[in-house]
Parts: sequence; C-alpha cells; structure tokens
Amino acid sequence: MSAQQAVLELPSSASPVPELAQEQGKAPRARFRGNWSPRWLALPFPLFLLLLWHVAAQFEWVAPQVLPSPQSVLLTFIDLAASGEMFDNLKISLLRVLLGFGVGLAGGLLLGVAMGLSRVFKDYVYPLFKAFSQVPVLGWLPLLMLLVGIDEALKIILISKAALVPIALNTFKGIENVPARYVEVARVLRFSRWQLLTRVIFPAALPPVWNGVRYGFTHAWLALVVVELLASSEGLGYMIVFGRQLFQLDVVMAAVVVVGAVGYVLDRVLARIETVLLGWRRTGF
Amino acid sequence: MARSSSYDTQDKHPVPKFLRGWILPAALVLLWWLAVKFNWSASPLLVPVDKVWDTAVRQVRSGELEIALEASLRRDLIGFAIGVSAGLAFGIAFGLSRLFERLIGPTFHTLKQISLFAWIPLLSVWFGLGDAAKVAFLSLAAFFPVVLNTFEGIRSVPADLVEAARVLKFNRRQWLFKLILPAAAPSILAGIHLALIYAWLATLGAEYLLVSGKGVGNTMIDGRELFLMDLVIFGVIVVGFVGFALNWLAARLERRLLAWRGRSVVQF
Amino acid sequence: MTLDRRTVLKQLAASGVGAGAAILGLQARAANKPAIVRIGVAQPGIGNPPQFSGSSAAVANAKGWVEEEFKADGIKVEWFFFKGAGPAVNEALSNKQLDFAFQGDLPSIVAKSAGLKTRLILATGVRSNIYLAVPPDSPIQSVKDLRGKRVAIFKGTNAQLPINRVLEANSLQERDLRAINLDQATTLAALSTKDIDAAFGNINLLRLRDKNAARIVYSSKGGSPIFTTQSHVLVTDEFAQQYPQITARVVKTFVKTSKWASDEVNREEVLRLWAKAGTPYEHWREDYDGEPLRVRINPNFDPFLVARYKDSVEQAYRLKLSRSRFDVDQWIDQRYLKAALKELNLETYWPIFQINGKILGT
Repeated sequence: MSAQQAVLELPSSASPVPELAQEQGKAPRARFRGNWSPRWLALPFPLFLLLLWHVAAQFEWVAPQVLPSPQSVLLTFIDLAASGEMFDNLKISLLRVLLGFGVGLAGGLLLGVAMGLSRVFKDYVYPLFKAFSQVPVLGWLPLLMLLVGIDEALKIILISKAALVPIALNTFKGIENVPARYVEVARVLRFSRWQLLTRVIFPAALPPVWNGVRYGFTHAWLALVVVELLASSEGLGYMIVFGRQLFQLDVVMAAVVVVGAVGYVLDRVLARIETVLLGWRRTGF
Repeated sequence: MARSSSYDTQDKHPVPKFLRGWILPAALVLLWWLAVKFNWSASPLLVPVDKVWDTAVRQVRSGELEIALEASLRRDLIGFAIGVSAGLAFGIAFGLSRLFERLIGPTFHTLKQISLFAWIPLLSVWFGLGDAAKVAFLSLAAFFPVVLNTFEGIRSVPADLVEAARVLKFNRRQWLFKLILPAAAPSILAGIHLALIYAWLATLGAEYLLVSGKGVGNTMIDGRELFLMDLVIFGVIVVGFVGFALNWLAARLERRLLAWRGRSVVQF
Repeated sequence: MTLDRRTVLKQLAASGVGAGAAILGLQARAANKPAIVRIGVAQPGIGNPPQFSGSSAAVANAKGWVEEEFKADGIKVEWFFFKGAGPAVNEALSNKQLDFAFQGDLPSIVAKSAGLKTRLILATGVRSNIYLAVPPDSPIQSVKDLRGKRVAIFKGTNAQLPINRVLEANSLQERDLRAINLDQATTLAALSTKDIDAAFGNINLLRLRDKNAARIVYSSKGGSPIFTTQSHVLVTDEFAQQYPQITARVVKTFVKTSKWASDEVNREEVLRLWAKAGTPYEHWREDYDGEPLRVRINPNFDPFLVARYKDSVEQAYRLKLSRSRFDVDQWIDQRYLKAALKELNLETYWPIFQINGKILGT
C-alpha cells in the first residue's frame, strides 16, 4: 500500500483531528472531537430493555403466553442447559452455520471478484444472479429437495445461499467502486496486473468486502432458523420453531437469547478482524 | 473508465451486450426441458415446461396474478420506504456520533442477528393480524442493511477529505451534503440495494409466516400445500422476475445518482 | 400499476383510515353488541377468498351463513386463516385478536394448560382420518414395520395424539422411530423424493397416491375412532361473558349448518364445497364412503367425545406437550349447544355415543 499512501499523504499540520496509527495491523484508537465514551456505555441500553421487558411482563402489557417474564425464561434456560439440550442443539446449529458460511464465503468471494473484474462475466451472470437471489428459501425447497434430499446437505446449501448473496454483491460493488485515481497511480508506477490486483484493487475494495462478509455471516445465522423451521429435528432454530408450536414461548425466548448472544460474539470476532485488516484506513469519524 | 494500454479490457466478446444476460437462463430452461424429455428423474417434483406455461397463461387470464402482484408489491414498497428512511436516520446517527454508537451499537448488533421469525409473535401483538404486521416485518428486513452500510460509508470517509472540509470551514449543512453523503453514497446505495433484495424476500416470507391473504408468495405456498408443482415453479419464476425488475430499476437509479463520480471509479 | 407519489399517499391514507376504523371497532365493542365477530381457523386458507374443508364450520364459511345471521344487526364477521395452524391461532387468541376459533384438540389443550381462557362450545370436524403413506416400492407394509424408520409427523397439531395412540397400539413409541417434524407441504415433497421412509398425515396424502408417488399402508378409516382426530369450535371466556347472546347465535348457526350438512341429500354438495379448498372431490368421497354423514358431522359433545378429550389431556401431559392438566368437563360449555338443539328440535337427530363407543340406545 506504500504507493497509495505516498500519493494520498497530506501535510499534517497541527490538525484538530488526531492521526491514526500509521502502521498496518495496529487498531485505530477511539477518536472523536472531544467525545468521551468508555466501554461500559454498552450496558445502559440493554439493561433498559431488560427492565422494560420485566415491567411489561409484570403488568401483562402483553399476554404472558406470548411474552413470558424474564424470570421464567431464565428458569427455562437453566433447565435446558442442565439437561444438556441447549448445548447439543447449539453445537449442531453452530456446525451447520459455520459450514454453510464457509461455502457461501468461498462462493461469494469468487463470484464477486469475477463479476467485478470481468465485464463480460458480469454481463452473463449478474442478471441471473439477481433473479436467483430474489427467490426465497421456500421457492428453492422443492428443487433442492429433488437434487439433494432433506438431510444436512439441503440445510448447508440453503445457509450458504444466504451467505453468498451479500458477500458476492458487496465484493462486486466494492471492486466496481475503487477510485480510478488509484489505478492511475498504479499505471504510473507500471504495476503488473497481479500487483494491481493485490496492492491496489483488493485493499481498496476491502472495507465493503468485509462488510459483505459480516452480512453474509449474519444472514447465514438468520437463515439457520428458517432452514431448521422447514425440515429438522434438532438445532436452535428447531427449538424456536417447536417451542412456538407447543406454545412454550419461554423455550423460544431462551433459544432466541442464545442465538443472539452467540451471533453477537461471532460478529464481534469478525469486527475485531476488521479493525486489524483495515488498520491502515484513516477514517474521518 | 480507467483505460490504458496495459490494463485494457476492450470489449472484444462476440456476443452482443444485451443478449448476454439471457444466455444462462435460456440454457437452464433448455436443461429443464431436456430433463423432462429424457426422464432424468421420475419424481413428480419435475414438471414439464409446457405445463408450467399453461398454468402461467391461466393465472394471467383469470386476473389472479395481477391481484396477487398488486398486493405483494404494495406491501413491499411501503415497508421498503419505511425501513430505508428509518435506516438512514439511524445509520447517520451511528456514523456521526461515537456516543450513540457505543450506547446502542452492541444491542443493535445483537438484535440484527436474531431471526425475524422470532419477532413474529411480538409483531402480531403490536400490529395485529392484517397487512400492518407484514409491512412492519418487511421494514425491519430493510432497516438493518441500510443502517450497517450507512454507518460503514460514513466511517469510510477519508480523513484527508475531512481535513479539507475543516480547512474550508464548512457549516453543518455543507458537512452533510457536500462531504459526508457524497463520500458515503456508494456504500449507502449498496445498502439500499441490499435492503431492496431483503424487503422483497421478506414480503414473501411474511406471506408464509403471517395470516393468509393475497399475494404472490401465497401462490407458491398454495402450490406447495396442494402439491401442484407447476404452480410452485410458476410462482418461483414470477418472484424471481419481479425481484429482478426491482433490482434493475434500483441499479438504474444508482447509476444516475452516482453519475457525478464519472470517470473517477474503475468499473472494469 | 403506477407507483407514483399519489398512489403511495393514497395507500398510506387508506391504511390510516383502516387503522382508524379498527380503533373505532374496538370502541364499539364496549356497547351491547360487537361491531365485528372474529373467527380464526387453524388451517391455511386456500384460494381467493380463502376456504377450508373437512367440517361443518367449513360449510358454514363457504355458504356465508354466519355472515347472513348477523347481517341484520350490522355485525361484520371476519374469518382469519393461519398457515401455522393451531399454534398460530393460539398466539392470536392470546393477543385478543380472535373471538372464536376452529382448532384441533391438542393445540387448544396446550393453550388452555398454559392459561389461555377459552371454552369449547361445539364439536366439528370430528373423527377425521389419519393416513400412513410410504414410497410405492417401500418394504413397509404396516405401522408395525416403522421401527427405526424416518417418519414425518406434523407435531403440535391434533394428529399427533392419534398417531401416538396408533404407535402404542402397535407396541411402538415415537422414540422408536426417527421422527421428523415436517409440515404438510414439505411432507408431500419429501415423500415423493423418498427422503423419508414414511409419513403420517391426513387426507392430503391421497394426492400422492394418485400421482403414483406413494402408497397408503394404513388408514384410521374403518378402525376404532380412537385413532381419529377431533376438532371443535371454541370461544374466549371474555367474549362469551360479554356477549352471551351472540355466542348462542353463532352456535345455533353452526348447528343448523351441521343439520344441513348431515342430510344425505346434500352429501354431494357438501363434498364438492370442501373440494373447492383444494382436496379433490374424489378423495372426500373415498374418505366418507360407507359412513353416514351424521356420524362425523356431529356437533355434540357426547360422552364418547368427552372421554376422548379427557384422554388427550392426559396424553398431552404424559408426552410433555402440555404443562398441566385440567378439568375437561369445566372446559366444555354445553349450555349453548343444548339450548340450540332444544330450540331447533334436534336433540335426537345425531347419534349419541357412549364412552364404550356404542351408540346410546343400542
């Protein structure tokens, strides 16, 4: 990235905007125009929601069958954790999501890069891609069942489709949106095609690509519930669906909490990777 | 378009541009037709092309398709509009205020991971059994990508541009309209594009998950319930086609709105 | 359809008016009669306008007789159909979005044990058959052969209990099979692709047989009625307390419908009405062949049916599907039914089954 930095470096005067760490790999420190915001600020809002939930359940603003109280959800959660049910289902769901996400990631990146770099490929494939991505899981189900049955393969494929769409789209757009002046610089410096790709295009496209990767993961996780709704007998999504079918919304909420928590943790991991990968970026805000 | 002798990507391909998009779909239809003709599968899930065509003609003639499409599209567009506006507001707040991001961010990132399916009981409580619940469901689906991409777009505004704005002593309005929004525009528009996709998917999802009513999704669902695969495939084609059309419109709009970038982006 | 600003604004205004009307409707409820009577159906409605089948309630819906009954009073009647079947109806009942509901025994039992305040007022769609289907070339010949096989069961619906009874009658439990929870549509598809070895279901399995994609190896038809599914119409305690006359009139309308539908003269019309919801007329004819209509289109909670419901409450509790037991005799409110039967002089029109399954008087 040295070429890019050489061109873009402005004379840094005594600027009110503190500079970011220049070296690669160092995470940007929090900076704002004088705003102070420590870590624990993350807590008040969720606590407020929790309080709201408790009050709503206490005063039965919503029927208890539809919105169980936090206490009952906690008790159910403890039950499920103790019996091992929660962990078993979590394990199965996690495996499905990771596999599906992996496949979707690979496919999405490949497709996105191909569409971004080759006009011709894009002209052939993009229209069909657009149409395909707009058909919901329910529509694909009959055809996919015909091809792969109703076992794990079906679920993995559906999850990977959910991950592939945003990844491919964001990768494609990311490459398309690379500023022309970067390419001109590369031309001036007589970069080879390979150097152009690895030192200019990919790094410049990285922010939207990584955004797409995070989406892809989120949607893989979201798809899990839908997939397990349709044809499964285990997993967190199954717990949510079956709990609802048996009118045991506390089981549903317990599973939802676990889904949210695990999803959040994994998303944070991806965010961390993002700050590492994009440490060189000098953001304005 | 950045073109030079070394990175020249001159369009020397034999097939004319406007035809290229049709080749793959045509190949798929051919494959389908062959599969039926040569009986590659005995399953009743494989329906002959002409049967689907007959169903299509019947649906159009009886006006059923029009009613269903109108209902679905109406919900889709209203929910999309709501979700995008709310998403923009939220995303800008996130992007510009670290405080806001720290306060609401973690909760937001957790909520986005929770399947919309889990929201349905609560949505039914607050919005009842009619179209309002479906529109709310839709708006949520459109909301999240817009927020995330807007946030990302604002964060990507290069520091040097911010410094330039400072030097030029921009006022509030100029900050927003001359610096932030244009710089974040590609990302925001990509987010809106994603929101469009997810809104359409959620429209169909809502028809499956919430009370029965009119809509294109119901065509597919009824077909599944009654094991009329020709109806299902017809539904799939309509859904894909409408989604494609929406996307195409969005792409035209996007190109219009980003035309000011002119030759400043690569666009191989 | 043009998508210009005016159209969008019009739609928004229309929804606003709709919301306003809904609020007005809520206020009107406080008066002596409701502005609208809301009936939920635990089946996906097929077609435009949505219809369902298999019961006298379905006939009443198709013929519009409930709407007719209340037209003079200016009370609207609205039917809601739920793809999520019983469980989705339960949610709507909890949210006070329905007044009456047509549901199977198990979902209502689950809801009542979870604290939902309802009462049963009419039997409808009783003694519906369950079927077991397998792929055409399958070695499975009967329920006994299901051990260790992948079997689709739509859990949480009223078929689950009779299915368990059939299994128990063949010395099997659900955990002796590899049971998969699939809804009807997915079951049909999975059976046709042979991804499951067998599927329990209702009359809709017959269409696979017609396409040579499945073979029926068991049907509750002709066997003990213990293996059939039961359904009913219920009303929320709140609505019944507030509008007892309206409730009584709804029950009377359904009883009148049941009488019309039990008349053999109308057999064909009844079956054809049901066929409009998608299941072919021939299948209905086959399912009802050899049985007098009035055995199954019977609105009475006779001792046999009450015993079935008591049994179901016990079974649901045992299978951990519900969390408590309750008194079925308190749950079933026979008053409206008895009043309607007396008024219409139909007290002896339908067979009254004793607990032992035999008809009273035989």
